[in-house]
Amino acid sequence: MIEKVRRGKSEELTLVIITVGAVAAMSLFLPDKFLTLTNFQSMASQFPEYGLLALGIMLTMITGGIDLSVVSIANLSGVAGAMVLASHTKALALGLSPATIIFLAILAALAVGAICGFINGFVITAVGVPAIIATLGTNGLFMGVAIILTEGHGIRGFPEEFLFIGSGTILHLPMPLIIFVLVASMVALMLRKSSQGFKMYMLGSSPLAARFSGINNNKVLIKTYLLSGLLAGIAAIIIISRVNSMRPGYGYAYLLLGVLIAILGGTNPDGGRGGVLGLSMAIVILQVLQSGLNILSFSPFLKKFIWGLILILVMVITYFQTYTWSGRRLIQNSLKTGAS
Amino acid sequence: MIAKLLRRNETYLFFVIMAFSLVVTMINPTFLTVENMFDLVKSSSGMAILAVGFFVGLLAGGIDISFPAIAIAGQYIAVNTLIALGVDNLLLAFVLSCAVGTAMGAINAFFISAFRMPALIVTLGTSNIFHGALLVFVGTRAINTGQLPDCFKAFGHMHVLTLTRADGTTYGLSVFAVVLLGIIVVTWFLLKHTLLGKSIYAVGGSYESSKRAGFSINRTLFFVYSYIGFLSGIMGVMHLSLIRYSNPNYIVDTELLKVIAAVVIGGSKITGGSGTLVGTLLGVVMMVILEKNLVLIGLSSYWHQFFTGLIIVLGVSITHYQSKLQSKKSLSFAD
Amino acid sequence: MASFLEVKNISKAFDGVQALEDVSMAINAGAIHCLVGENGSGKSTLIKIIGGVLKPDKGEIRIDGKLFRPGRAIDSIRRGIQIIYQDLSLFPNLTAAENISLNQLIEKGNKFISEKNVIKTSEKALMEIEEECDLFAKVENLSMSKRQIVAISRALTQNARLIIMDEPTSAITKAEIDHLFSVIMRLQAKGIATLFVSHKLGEVFEIAENVTILRDGRKIGDYAAGELDNDKLTFLMTGQKIVSTPYVRDPENLADANLLEVKNLSRKGHYRNITFAIKRGDILGITGLIGSGRTELALSLFGLNRPDSGEIVLEGRSVEINSAEEAIKLGVGYLPEDRLLQGLFVEKSIGSNIVVTIVAKLLNRLKLISGAKRQRVEYDWIDKLKIKTPSAALPASSLSGGNQQRVVLAKWLATNLKLFVLDGPTIGIDIASKSNIHDIIRDFAGEGVGIILISDEIPEVLQHCNRALVMREGRIAAAIEDITRVSESDIFDMATAQNVDQVR
Repeated sequence: MIEKVRRGKSEELTLVIITVGAVAAMSLFLPDKFLTLTNFQSMASQFPEYGLLALGIMLTMITGGIDLSVVSIANLSGVAGAMVLASHTKALALGLSPATIIFLAILAALAVGAICGFINGFVITAVGVPAIIATLGTNGLFMGVAIILTEGHGIRGFPEEFLFIGSGTILHLPMPLIIFVLVASMVALMLRKSSQGFKMYMLGSSPLAARFSGINNNKVLIKTYLLSGLLAGIAAIIIISRVNSMRPGYGYAYLLLGVLIAILGGTNPDGGRGGVLGLSMAIVILQVLQSGLNILSFSPFLKKFIWGLILILVMVITYFQTYTWSGRRLIQNSLKTGAS
Repeated sequence: MIAKLLRRNETYLFFVIMAFSLVVTMINPTFLTVENMFDLVKSSSGMAILAVGFFVGLLAGGIDISFPAIAIAGQYIAVNTLIALGVDNLLLAFVLSCAVGTAMGAINAFFISAFRMPALIVTLGTSNIFHGALLVFVGTRAINTGQLPDCFKAFGHMHVLTLTRADGTTYGLSVFAVVLLGIIVVTWFLLKHTLLGKSIYAVGGSYESSKRAGFSINRTLFFVYSYIGFLSGIMGVMHLSLIRYSNPNYIVDTELLKVIAAVVIGGSKITGGSGTLVGTLLGVVMMVILEKNLVLIGLSSYWHQFFTGLIIVLGVSITHYQSKLQSKKSLSFAD
Repeated sequence: MASFLEVKNISKAFDGVQALEDVSMAINAGAIHCLVGENGSGKSTLIKIIGGVLKPDKGEIRIDGKLFRPGRAIDSIRRGIQIIYQDLSLFPNLTAAENISLNQLIEKGNKFISEKNVIKTSEKALMEIEEECDLFAKVENLSMSKRQIVAISRALTQNARLIIMDEPTSAITKAEIDHLFSVIMRLQAKGIATLFVSHKLGEVFEIAENVTILRDGRKIGDYAAGELDNDKLTFLMTGQKIVSTPYVRDPENLADANLLEVKNLSRKGHYRNITFAIKRGDILGITGLIGSGRTELALSLFGLNRPDSGEIVLEGRSVEINSAEEAIKLGVGYLPEDRLLQGLFVEKSIGSNIVVTIVAKLLNRLKLISGAKRQRVEYDWIDKLKIKTPSAALPASSLSGGNQQRVVLAKWLATNLKLFVLDGPTIGIDIASKSNIHDIIRDFAGEGVGIILISDEIPEVLQHCNRALVMREGRIAAAIEDITRVSESDIFDMATAQNVDQVR
């Protein structure tokens, strides 16, 4: 079984190699286009949106579930934030400062994200619906509310100051990148060092054993889905600021990308394994690839095709890794003890 | 017999549908007319076919979300081939579309059975592969009514039963109804009277027991996902004949959600092995009536997606809450 | 009489571990044969080889004297060998009739099936054993004993000549066991042999004719059922004469007040009117059949099965325990029956498994888990309970059964327990580890923890408890205050007797 521990390490090593390889290949073949500050800045402001959504998906996958509603939550949170922002001319007239309005908008987006996440957690724990179908349903529900609120139209007309969040830079570093790094670090700290994080891994590894060890599974799960919703809320703030408008239906392709990143980053969809480090490398790999495809002006359809292909490929590779190492051992062990 | 009926989900759903139709008819007397019914059958038979496919997948314990992509791929490849060859033959269109669909379904089946991967994640990947490949390798241009071979239009207009209105004009029951009926009968026969059908229930009910009983699980899964692809192919051609327009970019998840909602309120368990064809069809009826009449209740079409999502959540909540109570009683702790 | 099945000199190794070595056995047509051995003695491997699931490294199988080399499970089925595993391998979502007839239909290669045919096949199979069953009911709605009937009927549809039953009596009541036996007798009358596979002595001895005993992959011998008694069988199975040093509570150093009082506790369908008390340092054994309500009662004490009525008093305070979390706060721990599923996080590290119940105590001022504290606790318990591992970071699956169980014990002992409920703590564990685990339990009882030890194995209760309850059909059938004054057969009778009035 020592192989299994080794496998965890080798998985991360594989990711590092791929990451370095991808960056090196791009730098070598497209130095004048890839290795520019503008390109790096544009990459760094693109990925945080779906990177945050992928973080949420990863958290739920660690507990053995999945959150398919992250894109819808981001849309609904975005709508909530945008509605507050769009009313700024009226609010200014009432004597509110732009800073207050922006603060309220951010609060609204985060609150809506958290509420949506809580609803997911509630349906999954109190009613006992499998996460996969519960979040598929709420995915429609949340997007539906966003459509109702906007009647399908886009919301625009935000205060100038707000756009800094999505397009501003500090020391050449794009704001979205800074936000992502901060949030991802906090999530990493939570996973590695907090009691919630520890319980999430244990619960994901065996919900039954968790219950028999006095872990309050429902509490842990509700917190997890709430967190995933909150992350979608943060993504929403970046999105509306970067796009400078909000229209429901934004980022439909992010769901695939999010699941892909989570799995590529070594998260086990059966629960119990995954982490921010692997996820971050998966993001870098995909963003570099994406940027390369953009520079080579590949069509978005081809990208879609490639993302799908990579997802399946990663799953197949994971299958072979599991089966050649731990899987075979597990089967043999259980045969030995007659437990199977 | 009555007691047995009362214990079934379908009975309740049936009464809900009756009550709802009654209310709608009171507000809008034209609802419960033969003509309107014929219309509903025509416009929703495509969705019903997809629901049947999704239901069969669920029985075997898998959630296949690639059928919208497969349907559009089958449709678009078929119509383009017909135009390129200059042939105007509906049968060929069906053969092509179904062949494409079945092949794509078989690809799903391969990954799901050979690598024991969750169907949802596999089909999330393959639906992007299929759709992406379609747009890259086949084309992105929409086919409009003018370019459409006549056979599709004729198929869309074909009636199997024609009635005359008071003013002398005619209306009729679309041939779509026959296609749908055929698929229902075949699926029913398959599930009820063939070993393959029982093996679908068996695999969804207990994977381990199926293996021990000597079922060829891979063959069963291969059939299930190929069948879903095949049905999606049929739906693709029907949908094209209905709207007389083929846009390869058109692939919306609202259709997906509606189908899932229909199957789920039909009482099928998302964890596999349990559910009935009747329930699925009643679920489709429920969804169609609801969709067509939201406007009637004074809600704009913007509410569609909201209601679809709500129905999925409520539908699964009811089925799973029951089993949660059950497992509490028996201390099985099935999470 | 000619043997129906003969296995000769079978050997099988996994990964260099010898699971079976040179085992031979013969079963006559229509015989009722028993294969016994402790967990890990190789019985499962042997029946899997007979059933065509595994291939032996050496040795041969003969059916009716002719050499038989099964390649797959279906080969054995075709020759009339049917294995009914403990989980019965039924389809819960299909009807009884479908469950009975499906296998035969697969075997026949029928593409189509008619309901009429399905019903007819099932009725015929049921008739053969003179049984009845609601053929249209889904199997998930049938009782355990009815499910067994379904599984046996299924075997009959495929012309079974030998039915191998894995632990058939562990989940059914005495009355149902008697019923099962009458079915087996009817099978015997038809010339169908039965092989019981069991890890304990029990009821099957009532009807078995011959007994084959395995230990550590080797055959100890064949015996006529009549020449064995409990002590002899235990000795043959374990290879050890059990030295009885009964556990005695030390009244000098332990408070005399009741630690736990359970008053009239009831839960519909699970148990009724349970009243008992235990003191610090008591090891209270609870024994009874599966389904007698013992596990259900234990879960109620641990907050996972809320009682309908009655009272639980802990250290003089009436408490309500509604979740495992609350139980832990009150100082109640529970070691579950199923170690691999309920007790352990198999893929997780040994260390994580140990600290899972006490993470809250490892937090520093920033509410973060302190790595140093965590490591100290982990290695403390690894040392204390002598868990054999080079590192706490290895997954629990890397350990042997006995070491795994010590990890589960550590997880609970780390929580400052007052009351520790152990449900089958030595199931599937080798002899050496068993006695070590018993020592750990005794040590902690000595330090003042109140212990409830639930066990199938009456000798375990006799040797390691100072008091015992015998449960039957949800009630306490007997409360034994001085364990030294009863014998194994006394307790066996109390647990299985038909009426509840013979309470001692």
